Amino acid sequence: MPEQRPTLRQWIGLTVTGLVLIGMLILPGYQSPYDLLTYTRFLVLALMAQGWNLIGGFTGYAAFGNVGFFGVGAYTTGLLMLSKWHVPFFPALFSGAVLAGLIAVLIGLPVLRLKGHYFAIATLGVAEAFRQIADTWDSVTQGSTGIDLPVRTDGEFFYYSALAFVVLGILVTIALKRSKIGYAWVAIRGDQEAAKMLGINTTAMKVLAFAFSAVFAAIAGGLTAYQNIHVTPGDFFQLEYTLQMIIATIIGGTGTILGPVLGAGVYQLLSTYVWTRFLELHPTVLGFIIIVFIIFLPRGLMPVLTGSIDVLRGRRRFRWQALLANVRAHRVT
Amino acid sequence: MNPVEFGQIAVNAVLLSGILALVALGFSLVWGIMNIVNLSHGAFVVLGAYLTFYLHELVGLDPFITIPIGMVVLFLVGFVVQRVLINQVIRAPLLATFLLTFGLEILIVNLVNYFFKADLRSVTTRYTGAGLSLGPLRIPYIRLAALFISFALVAVTAVFLRATRPGRAIRATGMDIDAARLTGVKVAQIYALTFAIGTSLAGAAGSLLSMIVPFDPNLGGTYTQRAFVICVLGGLGDVGNVILGAILYAFVDVFVGARLPEMSQAFTFGVLVLLLILRPQGIAGKKFYA
Amino acid sequence: MEAAASNAPAEVLLQARAVTKRFGGVAALQGVDLDIRKGEILGVIGPNGAGKTTFVNCISGLDRPTSGTILFKGREITKMPSYAIGRLGLARTFQVVKPLRQLNVIDNVAIGAMFGAGGKRRTTGQARERAEQVLEQLGLKHRREHLAADLTLPDLKRLELAKALAMDPELLFLDEVMAGLNPTEVERAMQMIEAINRAGVTLFVIEHVMKAIMGISDRIVVLHFGKKIAEGDPGQVIENPQVIEAYLGERFAKRAKSALHKK
Repeated sequence: MPEQRPTLRQWIGLTVTGLVLIGMLILPGYQSPYDLLTYTRFLVLALMAQGWNLIGGFTGYAAFGNVGFFGVGAYTTGLLMLSKWHVPFFPALFSGAVLAGLIAVLIGLPVLRLKGHYFAIATLGVAEAFRQIADTWDSVTQGSTGIDLPVRTDGEFFYYSALAFVVLGILVTIALKRSKIGYAWVAIRGDQEAAKMLGINTTAMKVLAFAFSAVFAAIAGGLTAYQNIHVTPGDFFQLEYTLQMIIATIIGGTGTILGPVLGAGVYQLLSTYVWTRFLELHPTVLGFIIIVFIIFLPRGLMPVLTGSIDVLRGRRRFRWQALLANVRAHRVT
Repeated sequence: MNPVEFGQIAVNAVLLSGILALVALGFSLVWGIMNIVNLSHGAFVVLGAYLTFYLHELVGLDPFITIPIGMVVLFLVGFVVQRVLINQVIRAPLLATFLLTFGLEILIVNLVNYFFKADLRSVTTRYTGAGLSLGPLRIPYIRLAALFISFALVAVTAVFLRATRPGRAIRATGMDIDAARLTGVKVAQIYALTFAIGTSLAGAAGSLLSMIVPFDPNLGGTYTQRAFVICVLGGLGDVGNVILGAILYAFVDVFVGARLPEMSQAFTFGVLVLLLILRPQGIAGKKFYA
Repeated sequence: MEAAASNAPAEVLLQARAVTKRFGGVAALQGVDLDIRKGEILGVIGPNGAGKTTFVNCISGLDRPTSGTILFKGREITKMPSYAIGRLGLARTFQVVKPLRQLNVIDNVAIGAMFGAGGKRRTTGQARERAEQVLEQLGLKHRREHLAADLTLPDLKRLELAKALAMDPELLFLDEVMAGLNPTEVERAMQMIEAINRAGVTLFVIEHVMKAIMGISDRIVVLHFGKKIAEGDPGQVIENPQVIEAYLGERFAKRAKSALHKK
């Protein structure tokens, strides 16, 4: 947790983020539509990862079903826009987010009582169940044929909207991390019983984290739905999305502010690169990359980056052993 | 549903439960002893299936003969995988092992996809279609054999765990790792052994499956899911629980599949979530592997 | 040691009536009646498995008694969730310490200050200030930036205590805080506990270190097989034949008594 006055690390982080932001603002002028799409995908992934980071990173509850909320956001946004009221995009998106949050509260209350593996699988099951509901509730969702949103082709709109949300997400994360809520979340991750004894209403806090993650995922879903135009259960409830947001957060650094965004960027970069080079084997390579990160850099890249600032200042010496130390700590001999 | 339909479905359920028990047993062992939920378990089932397919098509071996071969190969593969990969994250937080095994799954399935392509395969022999007819009910010989072989393997594993030194060492490690270590058990080796047994059993199940259903590289995922549900249903207590869970699951799966095929997944998961909330230790389970 | 509690009419801070706790067929606690008086240090002794920690679990909300009632400051807390009890002014430490491992010392303690009885009116910044005070008081200030996971056992025990203290409790339950400490550390712990008591915190102390518990307690309660078998002045309790038979042993009782007289 940061001290009250910004440290050098934070100034550096702020500066870098600021420069990147400026870069991203002027970017669209210089990119082809296809490349812009890739950048937008990165931003949407960053948004999902930011949300997941709140429940999975800060609070330590590895939810495996957030694509469920992604899909809820997509369908709600789409259906409202297509309804007789012709709800404009942003209000529809907002409604989707609110609905997802409410559903998360309803589902979170029973499911967050479970621990570890069981919680992960239960949330996975919930997402799967959502998919099936979307598939079979023909009267509302048109089943497996899906729905088609009003067409909008200017990539810049989606890019800037996503960028705005990501920046908002960063600010929200900062605010939460510094607040009592943020402290409550890390306390829960540290030792839930101790947290209860210290006066933290763990149920309320967990549900809150889960609801926040749902809101982020739903906004991502709504954006993607509008950009994609065609929304089907198969596409919008796929496990793939959950895994991407988790991997992005892990690569970047769980429980950090910029980690999810950084991780999303790295993941998108790798994914695009691997896709072009190793098309057929690209899942293999990605799987391999996941494995390498999990073993050697389980806390992601952020600690490496912040650590390297210390190294440059001479405060710490660089040791290869540091990478291996982590491996040794988790082995069994 | 008329009695004949009902009967046939019941027969199918029983026949299915054998293979499910086999798949779930390996999964349950690794989970119970090492506290690892191996998301790549299904991938080893797939490996077993393709190995049998390969040996049958290219070398002409009878698929039943390939079962022990497959088991040995997958035992070695599992041993190496555990020592090299899984072992690195044994004591890491759950998410790490989840993602590691998931990464492994992607890797294996995609490699299989690359080498064998995604076409549906199946292993057919002269005796593939033959079966027993009990009145209106039909019991294919291969499925019957698969049932017997599955239970035989499960029984052998159970005996191994109870009566042999390594088997008892495995159970001891599952109960109390520090106490086991104090009595001289080499935990790292036991973990590798346990994982290898798991993959070996998965491979055997895959070999059997290759003869029964058409398969492609994505077969694994559903079996990992089923293994998980079975373990939750039956609890991680002992072999008997796994069998119980498998039978229960087979019946539910087959009946729901017959009536509401589209909702079967949602239904299964709904039941799963409810079960987890109400009775996380399963119908009859205990926490450790005994 | 004379305590104010034995002179003035004692205000009862916590009242436990007929508290029973069953786990399956085993009764860990059987009909325990206990009053904790404001301002006192109540020592609790008894063999392992006597139900001491179970009792604390039931009171602090970690567990629920099978039957019986518990009143804290006149309010029934029997079925209250632990976080609500914590906010009312009741705190506890754990026998096997439960630090928030991945956080540093100051954050660990600040969290107690944020969510405890005094937490409502505090911002996170003010909570950190309170945490600094507590760390100073317990001699942990020099470790404030260290990760909890990197601390030695005595420091971990102090951290455990600091977290509880930061909650500004009126009633504090200490569960074997001295286990694993050497004699010097025990001495220091005793002084710390007495200082905390002087500052106005009522204490319920479970201990096996007899010298310590005899030294600091105003009254002593003895639990055995889930029942309260003795209660009262330390000198009298250790002479109680039931207590001697159950827990102390003749020879030890003599030694404890002489230690008591030396004070």
